[in-house]
Formats: sequence, structure tokens, C-alpha cells
Amino acid sequence: MEPWVLLPLEPATPVMNMALDEELTLRVGAGDRPPTIRFWGWSAGCIVLGRFQSVRNEVQIERAAELNVEIVRRISGGGAMFIEPEGAITYSLYAPAAIAQGLSFAESYAFFDSWVIAALRSLGIDAWYAPLNDITSTNGKIGGAAQARRGGAILHHTTMAYQMNVPLMTQVLRIGQEKLSDKGIRSADKRVAPLLQQTSLPRETIIQHMIAEFADRTDLRTGTVTAEEMAGAEERARDRFATDDWRYILP
Amino acid sequence: MIEPAPGFHGEYKMPGGKLVQVDFNIENGRLCDVEVSGDFFLYPEEALAGIVSALDGSAADLETGVRAGMIAAAIPAGTEWLGSSPDGLALAVERALQVHD
Repeated sequence: MEPWVLLPLEPATPVMNMALDEELTLRVGAGDRPPTIRFWGWSAGCIVLGRFQSVRNEVQIERAAELNVEIVRRISGGGAMFIEPEGAITYSLYAPAAIAQGLSFAESYAFFDSWVIAALRSLGIDAWYAPLNDITSTNGKIGGAAQARRGGAILHHTTMAYQMNVPLMTQVLRIGQEKLSDKGIRSADKRVAPLLQQTSLPRETIIQHMIAEFADRTDLRTGTVTAEEMAGAEERARDRFATDDWRYILP
Repeated sequence: MIEPAPGFHGEYKMPGGKLVQVDFNIENGRLCDVEVSGDFFLYPEEALAGIVSALDGSAADLETGVRAGMIAAAIPAGTEWLGSSPDGLALAVERALQVHD
């Protein structure tokens, strides 16, 4: 079985979570670290924008500032997420592109999340993959994935809703009607079905269950972010991810 | 930090796809200050500059099919654009212009 390294959940700032993703993707691409899976910890709530989203089109900027909700931008495409530290389960896979050889870009999305579908189903949640990038269920959407490709490696990261603060989310995000036009549903809260609506299990238990499922399919060992990688990520955070040049690259 | 939004805004979501949004101004009958955004996926991400440059400076009265062809021609071979398309973006431009008719 393929050797993988697990980086257990460690709280990081929103900006550092963005920076770690890029740093670790490049390290895997360079062959400096084996394929790696990281579960994210969040030290603060935030809005995470996709690489190609416009801040003013997605965010109620003044309201977010009043409520002290930080805006960050990730390196992958896809949609905006409103994150509260205990409200989401986020993980990243960092893999050499060769792992997805022969798969189309679209097929690779389902491929990298197939173990999660199995983990959720074994918890009694009727989940399946809805192309291009959604994990969904009979009750509604659970989460979404996004990928970036850098230096011979694929970053595949996914956020699943565990518990949603819909009133706060709808104050800080703009949710346009066009986005919902082919879903036949008007309100944002109705199209998402957080895990806590579908199971009573604590977030930590679900994560442990997911890790066990992943470990069944790989030769999984626990590891750490090296000091060098951490320094690299801190530099990226400072020089790029924390800057307005990056945050407002699409204003 | 935040500049005022350009005067024209259009969006289009392909059925089963992602949202593409376009913001621009018009000067002397041509598009300018063009911004293309959305929750689509684009590999490599640098391809966005080519897509924007296909619209920037183009005549506002182009037929949508012609505009889609110009966008497609500005996308290098090997680019993967998931969730939207030149046709989708051209439709978003058409919608932005219609609002002002």
C-alpha cells in the first residue's frame, strides 16, 4: 500500500492554513515529503474565498469587518466558505500528480474523496459524490472540494459542514440568485445539510472515523510539519496570504 | 483597497456548472476595466489573464457567438476550465449589457 503521512489536527490561523497548503503541496511535488493528509484546525472564524472569486461580489465587506470576520483567499478555485472553528471539518491531501494519472481533472475530484464517502456511509449517512466537487446526501449538500496543481503535485482539499451558523453566514456572504438557479431552491441554508443534522456524533469522532477509513486504504503513519516547512509557510503567510494584494487580487 | 465596482455586471451559471461573473466599464463603445471572477476552476490559473484580455478593448456590440470565439481563442491549449466556458462568459457579458439597454 502507498505510504502516506498524517498530520493531525493542529489549530492554525486562517492565513497560515492557506500558506501551509501551498508549502506542503510544493514539498510533495519536489519529492521532499511523502503523500500527506492534513486535518485543519482553525484558531479563528473566517471567510475563505476561492482563487477566482471577487471579494465585493461574494462578501458583505463592511458587515464582515464589523463582525471581525477575516477574509482570506486560498490557492484553489471554487466557492466561498464561511468557517467557524468547530463548525467545519476540513482536510487536505497533498499527492504527486502521478497518483491521479489517467484520470481527467473532473474524475480526480471524486477519486480523492472516495474514502470520505465510504467513511460517512459507514456512519449511517447516505452520502455520495455529486460531480464536479460536492459531497452530498439525501438531506442536502455536506461539503465541497477544490484542487490546485503546483510543481508536479495535486492539492485536493475539502470542507464539510459540521454545524452551521446560518444567520451569521448570510450576514457576511452574498448568496446570489443566479448561483441557485439550477438547484430550484431559494435559500442558502436549505441547500446545505451539516453533519450534525445527520448524526449526533461529535466532530472529533467523525474525524477519527475518517482517519481510520483512510488508514485502511494506505500505509499511514503519523508525522509532523518540519521546522523548515513551518518557516516556509510563515514566510508565504507574511509575504502573500496576509497581504491585500493577494486578498483583493480580484477585488 | 476596494475600488468602486465597474458599472456593468453580469453572471451566468451553466446548468450543473459553476458561476462566472463579469464586471466592466464601457468607453468609446469598447469594454474596459474587465474583471472575470467566479467559483469555477481554471488550470493553470494564469489562463485567467488571457481570458480577461480577450474582453478588454473588445467592441461592446459584438455578437455573443463571436465574443465566445474570441474568448476561446485566447485560452492556451492544455488549459482546463471546469464549471464554465467561453460560451458561458460571453452570455454573462450579454446579460451585463442587457441590463443597461
